[in-house]
Amino acid sequence: MDSMNKIRDAFDCIKAGEELKASTRDFIYAARRKEQNHTDSREKFGRGKSVFDTYPVFRRALGAVCAVLLMFLGAGGYALLLEPVAYVSIDVNPSLELVLNRFDFVISATAYNEDGELVLENVSLKGKSYTDAIDLLVESDVMQPYLAGNSALTFTVAADNSRKEERLLSGINNCSGCRRHGGVSFSTDISTVNTAHESGLSLGKYAAYSILSGYDDSITTEDCHNMTMGEIHGLIESHQHGDGAGHGDEHERENHEIWTETGDPTENDTGNAVENTDTPIYENEKPSGNSGGHGEEHGQGHGSGHGHGHGGR
Amino acid sequence: MRSEIETNHAIERYSNMIRRICLYHLKNSADTEDVFQMVFLKYLLYEGNFETEEHEKAWFIRVTVNACRDYLKSFFRRQVISLEELSEEAASIPPEQAKVLDTVLTMPVKYKDVIYLHYYEGYSAAEIGRILGKKENTVYSLLSRGRAILKEMLGGDL
Repeated sequence: MDSMNKIRDAFDCIKAGEELKASTRDFIYAARRKEQNHTDSREKFGRGKSVFDTYPVFRRALGAVCAVLLMFLGAGGYALLLEPVAYVSIDVNPSLELVLNRFDFVISATAYNEDGELVLENVSLKGKSYTDAIDLLVESDVMQPYLAGNSALTFTVAADNSRKEERLLSGINNCSGCRRHGGVSFSTDISTVNTAHESGLSLGKYAAYSILSGYDDSITTEDCHNMTMGEIHGLIESHQHGDGAGHGDEHERENHEIWTETGDPTENDTGNAVENTDTPIYENEKPSGNSGGHGEEHGQGHGSGHGHGHGGR
Repeated sequence: MRSEIETNHAIERYSNMIRRICLYHLKNSADTEDVFQMVFLKYLLYEGNFETEEHEKAWFIRVTVNACRDYLKSFFRRQVISLEELSEEAASIPPEQAKVLDTVLTMPVKYKDVIYLHYYEGYSAAEIGRILGKKENTVYSLLSRGRAILKEMLGGDL
């Protein structure tokens, strides 16, 4: 009880002064008026003086202001901020998909299974830069059980141009969360987004399904919906190694040990992966450091490391 | 969007709490003011409904904590500033309380929220877990270790 009193007495000394409250009222009501004016007249947006110039706090917190505006602005007026230009799929067993605007901020986050829904109930990603969103997600308490053991944390990006894809992949690979949990990153064709969603799958899981179904046409999207990425990867690898069954888990475990121990599939390469270049599939396979190589060579061997297949380009 | 009356009431009701949370996360008045204002802007623009005042308060806590964390990550602010540099507070705080606040400011961030919410706002571990999205056992562990850190840093005075 004495300890509670001491902490309470200490924090009692911290209060918000009248000046702070007054400046806050001025700020928020002026920001609301600006937003209403922008909605009425689109000419103001993006040209000359904007709300970002008027208020000093916005100059110092541009990213955070964009985040606030992205979260709460309506359909009219800020089309540029709300236009989706890229997708980042995050799959382990929770299956999530982030939609990004041209400034790489998250404008929506969607779950594609129950685990994903649970995660999104506990973590707010909208309005954040994609790298902040990824770190926040991967380091959240709710995600930790899914990242233990042989989890296959998989990031899949799709964008309207290859330069943006490369930049997004580079950002993902440099995220501390991705590095720490041995995440792998890939890119896929943005034209597969609609098909993936119609199948009830995230972009990343659909890409993995596309590869797996190339080996085994009895696999359905419903099957993959109920599988973890680790399980899908294991099946793909078992087909690639010619086993067909039974060795998937072993290879998955071996490869995940490689990923998590070194972060670089070539460091402890067993040799199998390097030889297995028949089907390349994900354009980028390294869990850290984007080695590039996107897209033109799809269908031809360029794989190293995992060598998973990708559909659609 | 919320009305001006409703928002002004919220400012009066929660501003002290939000300032405290901002201050122990951000450790300087300028950043505190930025995040403080953004939290209330979010409230003004928030279109959801609150079932109870407790629900609304929990929303403010969650939004403020998230805003502080995002702010720190976005701008890589890692200053460690003692309470003496917060000039507007330093003059008015008795030395004993200043020592406790200084100690809380320098604690690892994961302990600060649970320490504040439990010892000042009076929330239980279960309630803190719901607000912050953490498991109840995690909150218990953080409270226990946080309390041990405070005792060690304050020389057993806690």
